[in-house]
Amino acid sequence: MNRVFYIFALILFFLSSCIELIDDLTIHNDGSGTFKYIMNLSSSKIKVNSILALDSIDGKKVPSMAEIKTKLMSFAANLKTQPGISNVSMQINDFDLIVNFSCDFKTVGEFQSGFKSAITLINKEETIDALKESWISWDGRVLKRNIPILSLQILEGFKEGELDLLKTGSYTSINRFDRPIEKAEKLETKLNPAKTASMLRVNTFDLQKNHLLIENTIYLTPIKIK
Amino acid sequence: MKNLILLSLLFNFSICFSQSEQLIPQNAITVFSINNLNLLQKISMDDLVKYDFMEEVHQELFDGSTSGKTLKDAGIDFNQRLNVFYGKTDDYEVSGFTFGVSNSSLLFEVFDDFTELKSNYKDVKEYGSFFNNLILKNNSALLIRIEPTAESIDRKTDSIWYSRGNEYPYGGMYDEEPLFDEEFDEGDFDFEEYEAEEPSAPEEEEEEELNEDPLFYFDSTDISNEDFSEASEDLNEKNYYELRDSVQLELQQYLLTQLLNDLFINNLTLLSIDPRFSEQLTHQCAGTFYLDNSRSFQQANGLWYFQTVMPSLYNDIKELYTGNVILGDLILNDKSLEFLVEARYGEKLGSIYQEMNDSKFDNNITKYIHKNSPAYFTYNVNLRKAYDKAYEVIMPIISAEKNADIAMNVLALELMNELINKDALFDTYKGSMFGTFNGIKKIKTKKIDYKYDEITFEYNETEVDAIEDMPIFSLGFSIDRHDIPEIILKNFSRLTSKFEKHDNYWVFNNAILDAAPLYMINKNNLFILTNDEDLAINHSDGYGPDQLGRKVRKEIKRNGFMNGYLDISGTLNRFPNDLLSERRSELINSLKGKSGKMYLKSAKTTTKITKFEMSYKFNGEENSGKHLLDVINTLYIFSK
Repeated sequence: MNRVFYIFALILFFLSSCIELIDDLTIHNDGSGTFKYIMNLSSSKIKVNSILALDSIDGKKVPSMAEIKTKLMSFAANLKTQPGISNVSMQINDFDLIVNFSCDFKTVGEFQSGFKSAITLINKEETIDALKESWISWDGRVLKRNIPILSLQILEGFKEGELDLLKTGSYTSINRFDRPIEKAEKLETKLNPAKTASMLRVNTFDLQKNHLLIENTIYLTPIKIK
Repeated sequence: MKNLILLSLLFNFSICFSQSEQLIPQNAITVFSINNLNLLQKISMDDLVKYDFMEEVHQELFDGSTSGKTLKDAGIDFNQRLNVFYGKTDDYEVSGFTFGVSNSSLLFEVFDDFTELKSNYKDVKEYGSFFNNLILKNNSALLIRIEPTAESIDRKTDSIWYSRGNEYPYGGMYDEEPLFDEEFDEGDFDFEEYEAEEPSAPEEEEEEELNEDPLFYFDSTDISNEDFSEASEDLNEKNYYELRDSVQLELQQYLLTQLLNDLFINNLTLLSIDPRFSEQLTHQCAGTFYLDNSRSFQQANGLWYFQTVMPSLYNDIKELYTGNVILGDLILNDKSLEFLVEARYGEKLGSIYQEMNDSKFDNNITKYIHKNSPAYFTYNVNLRKAYDKAYEVIMPIISAEKNADIAMNVLALELMNELINKDALFDTYKGSMFGTFNGIKKIKTKKIDYKYDEITFEYNETEVDAIEDMPIFSLGFSIDRHDIPEIILKNFSRLTSKFEKHDNYWVFNNAILDAAPLYMINKNNLFILTNDEDLAINHSDGYGPDQLGRKVRKEIKRNGFMNGYLDISGTLNRFPNDLLSERRSELINSLKGKSGKMYLKSAKTTTKITKFEMSYKFNGEENSGKHLLDVINTLYIFSK
């Protein structure tokens, strides 16, 4: 994997004592939608900034904040060129260490392939096995989804004690629709009173142990034909 | 009586005829000599070979070809010293070690990559491998690697290359674009100005050596054939790099021959040329350390220009460093080990050191060191006296230099000396200081929290208090002019609201890693920087009855300019390794798990010598030899 992303993931891991990840997906009846992703490291500022001040971790050069920003911006710029993707926005708050990303898409298929292409491009066309898998599908009534971007594979090489650091982090997955949800496969899924949105929250430590925790299938009520 | 004489003779024999040290080249600048007899009678070989420094020796000795074998199998005589050395001249670097040999057949069962070479010296056998040479004389061996410096090889290669009528050989080497040539501002990304990366043909796999600076990345495939046109027209003539390789090889051989001539014909060894080193080796101790600072000064990088352009000034400065050597003894006791170090220097330099260290200890310092502090140091010097002495000693040297640049510098220095208020300067920064490590504490920071609306699942950012672990440090300086830091801080507080004045201290919010506050205590003839909120708010006049005990305070006052204390279990075992670089982390790890206490103190400084003493006291089951090896291992990792 590209070195900047590798190190970035390492930093995320080391610092994920209090990492907060939020993905917020809106899908309209016509299949178009909006995807928002927030990575909040503000509660680990001391650790993140200490690590960014280092030359290397685990034998790998630690990129500067500017390099990380460049890479993220490059990803956003590549995504913008993908068919069916629009309104790409990448905001990086390097004081509080929050990355705020969002984009609109015409179809879920274009969204997924656009993401994969953009990641492949910034990795200099290198093949990334994790990208071969489908992490989202939508047939107009059923949404099946997992974690949007790889990253958890990286954690497999770490020791048990180090993984404890993840225990206080959280991953929140929100899905919004134009019509009510009939049911969600994961029993822990919370629905809003109008049943048009679902929220599933898991601990990052548990998620590392079991990637399927965040996997969910949401069934919507049929579209009412007037 | 006869038996006693016999025993005495045997004992002296083992000391005087331990020959491995007689093979240390005269150009060795640093030598670490381990007295195996003392050390290894307490340590099992199986334990010994597990150390990092032995692993390196293994790599050198076994070259990976005889896996499963250990030093035990190598025929090494552990009754002789093991001397590790390193040296550097303008033209080459030399490194290696010398050791005793008890069984040469066994030695070559494991040294199987070495082939015998023709030797021109009586009673000396020479062997060579790809990188190293092994020299055997009687019962001792020298494993040596000699490397001409890149500058020396380039100089000679260029000379031959250009004398053959060739042109500049490096065309097209540094054309590689840097990987990151654009800086981004925070905030929204402007896509109008930024072009996306176009899909491109698959490239070669990216270089994984991440430590390489992309600016200087060199891909050999970038060199066109034209670069070697001069040489490649005639296939019998070497191109630049082939020529350079040949020069390197010849130089290596030439330098080795010179070194061996010195050793075996001229009898010039470090032992024979430096009586300080030979005297040091007579000490009854587990190990000795030798560092010739005067020669390491001469070989320091960056002095080449100085040496070439201003040779007389260089010689004068060199004279200042004459006699500058650091000698050390490692002594093993049952539950402690001591490292006795002598820093010796010439009288001129010594006169500056003596003035600098002639300082009354500032009693305020110990008030700010907590009695339970797991680590602290004090440094007590008089910069004003040192400045005056240095001015007196150094100015005549540089004033004598007939060079326009130097003359201007002398003028500037003399004017500054007259115009600057030295009283104000040295009353603000007197030179004495202290530092403490007060463990890891939870400190308050701010974080952004996302609050969810339970009905819509919409979320809002809110800033809330957070707690993070942080090592707590204090660094304090003696000061007589409290008004000067106040002037600076007062004006900084006008520039930014991050600076706040409180009754007993100043605080600079978010100063540390954009997250934690830095407190400044400016009172009691000290200016203290700390991230310890408790010290700033509750103990701005010191710890009172919780300060260092009377006995320790007295000891610190009585010692020389430097004191240090480190409780390994209270410091290193609690230190968060992920805040350290890989090498430092490795160093800390090598000491982790220990429960000892380290003390460092210096004696009074004279014009010739300053003595330092470091002791390491430990509890537990492990013997002192084990602890000594642990310390050696730490030093080894540190010096890698």
